[in-house]
Amino acid sequence: MRGLAEESVADMSLAQRSRSWSGFDAEFSRKLGQAGLLGLTLPTEYGGGGRGPFARFVVVEELLAAGAPVAAHWIADRQSAPLILNFGTEAQRQKYIPAICRGELLFCIGMSEPGSGSDLASVRTRAERTDEGWRLNGQKIWTTNSVHSDYMIALVRTSGTSDDRHRGLSQIIVDLKAPGVDIRPITDLAGDAHFSEVFFDNVELAEDALIGEEGGGWQQVVAELAFERSGPERIYSSIVLFDAWLAHLRGAGRSDPATTALVGGFMAKLAALRAMSLACTGQLAAGESPVVEASVVKDLGTAFEQALPLAIGDDLAAYPDEPVSEELQAALTFVTHIAPSFSLRGGTREILRGIIARGLGLR
Amino acid sequence: MVNNEFLEPFEQMLGEVFPPAAVRAIEAGASDTGGGEAAMQAVEESGFLDALVAEDAGGAGLAIADVAPLWMALGRHAVPAPVGQTMIERAAGDSDTDKRANANALLRAALIAGAAGRLLDMAVAYANERVQFGKPIGKQQALQQNLAVMAQDVVAVRLAVELAASKGWPDMAQAATAKSVAAEAAPRIANTAHAVFGAIGISAEHDLGLYTRAIHRWRLEGGAETLWSRQLGAAVLASTQPSVDWVRETLF
Ligand SMILES: Cc1cc2nc3c(=O)[nH]c(=O)nc-3n(C[C@H](O)[C@H](O)[C@H](O)COP(=O)(O)OP(=O)(O)OC[C@H]3O[C@@H](n4cnc5c(N)ncnc54)[C@H](O)[C@@H]3O)c2cc1C
Repeated sequence: MRGLAEESVADMSLAQRSRSWSGFDAEFSRKLGQAGLLGLTLPTEYGGGGRGPFARFVVVEELLAAGAPVAAHWIADRQSAPLILNFGTEAQRQKYIPAICRGELLFCIGMSEPGSGSDLASVRTRAERTDEGWRLNGQKIWTTNSVHSDYMIALVRTSGTSDDRHRGLSQIIVDLKAPGVDIRPITDLAGDAHFSEVFFDNVELAEDALIGEEGGGWQQVVAELAFERSGPERIYSSIVLFDAWLAHLRGAGRSDPATTALVGGFMAKLAALRAMSLACTGQLAAGESPVVEASVVKDLGTAFEQALPLAIGDDLAAYPDEPVSEELQAALTFVTHIAPSFSLRGGTREILRGIIARGLGLR
Repeated sequence: MVNNEFLEPFEQMLGEVFPPAAVRAIEAGASDTGGGEAAMQAVEESGFLDALVAEDAGGAGLAIADVAPLWMALGRHAVPAPVGQTMIERAAGDSDTDKRANANALLRAALIAGAAGRLLDMAVAYANERVQFGKPIGKQQALQQNLAVMAQDVVAVRLAVELAASKGWPDMAQAATAKSVAAEAAPRIANTAHAVFGAIGISAEHDLGLYTRAIHRWRLEGGAETLWSRQLGAAVLASTQPSVDWVRETLF
């Protein structure tokens, strides 16, 4: 496992490795699949590892710590396959899950739309019943990895209007190679194009495109978000930079009180966050849906990830006579610039705090 | 560890021996309380002071993981008497000072965790009850967001304590993790609680101050976040391991 991760990053620069789970390499994902390291939580009869969430935690943690390019399989392994297992028909499970476990089928999440970000229940993309199945019209945006993906699981309206809010929403598996699908990449402020706009113009889909219950889309999405928000990737987005900085400090022989206090403070937080993420993993393993707990992990975890580049920048600037490698500087610059997205993707900080407040009985 | 058979009788005893009036009197050093001696005598009779003493030496032989919930209960009651400290002294009195210092740091972190949980309960209850502008103040989004942050801090402190208590008597790294996380979060937790309560929380009559005063005291006793983070950071920099490996091997 560790060998595979190290091999995969051997030719990558530090700045590339600090892309963390946005780093894309389909070949590497297939290798992980062949090595039996994908679908660890999924039953063996569908090609999974049958090992449960803790085994997945260990593998994911190892990959993130190395800065391995995990984006290709990331979404399918984390949430699409568990969703299909929980809500799909037997035929749907057979169709998708074994190929996901082999690292061959890539998925993306189609939730956000131009007019529907935090207010997800207001989505307007619509699937109408036809004689053969479904006809899809509308638009998604910020869809990570849609350019490379085979399928999107989209939250769409199948009845009623936006005023009906949570009622009348369903999840649809969209074959992104179908006619009428148009994907246009969006470049981010660091120059990467990991997300896109996705347009649907009379896309004809078969009957079995519906996943789960018609009208049950909202409940399914909420369950999916517990997987999306509690994992170690909500703690480790800046970990490659953190380790590069530790290596720098060791190389410079620093042991002054200000430096050790800074390092120790981050380390203590990292340990607490890891314990919290593991506690959520335990709840998922017990079949629970820790929606509030996952929000706690994500908000606190992303705050940690965002604090690191700022503190590291400040620290390096306070020792102007210490040479800083170009690599470290490039990684620092990248993480500093991209860090605001950590508390946007997967639900904003303010929305998560609203969920926690509801959990406290305030709403 | 959470459902600990000793916890309920212990909490009940604390409720009887350390009601808010008694806490106030002990804090004020009132002569009729002898600075808490009578209360300590009552705790002594309960047998809990020997919780950590080995069974063959006449104690209960509990592990640190079993005792940590009791320490958190002490925090929930803002107990101003040295109950936890005495437990540690009796079990580790003759051993090296590091062992005692580490255990005492974990104790303070656990006390903070307990008081923090109590403060969160109080603040949420008050936010649902106090009406301004025609509705409970807890319906205001600004307050909801602050209380959500407070809840996160409370959970993080508790889990840091449970992690540090999970492997027996804590070493430096375990103690430092718990104390650093707890001490750093403590002022934020206390300040949010005070913000929610407004002026009434500042009055001497109100119980809020029992817990916030205690939290500030426990934060500083034996060193706060900077001291313990320094020790932890020095150990990290002295090793060659990357962060995740180090955390996993040292603390989990
Ligand atoms: C890197 C990245 C990858 C992404 N990948 C995907 C993906 O793969 N699939 C997908 O579907 N989406 C994806 N997203 C979109 C993401 O889910 C949204 O950005 C997010 O839900 C917020 O929506 P928005 O950007 O429209 O902001 P808005 O909802 O417009 O929010 C703007 C601001 O207003 C605040 N706000 C909104 N409503 C409230 C409220 N009720 N109370 C308080 N404050 C409020 C927000 O917190 C935020 O600060 C991605 C985003 C990023 C940055």
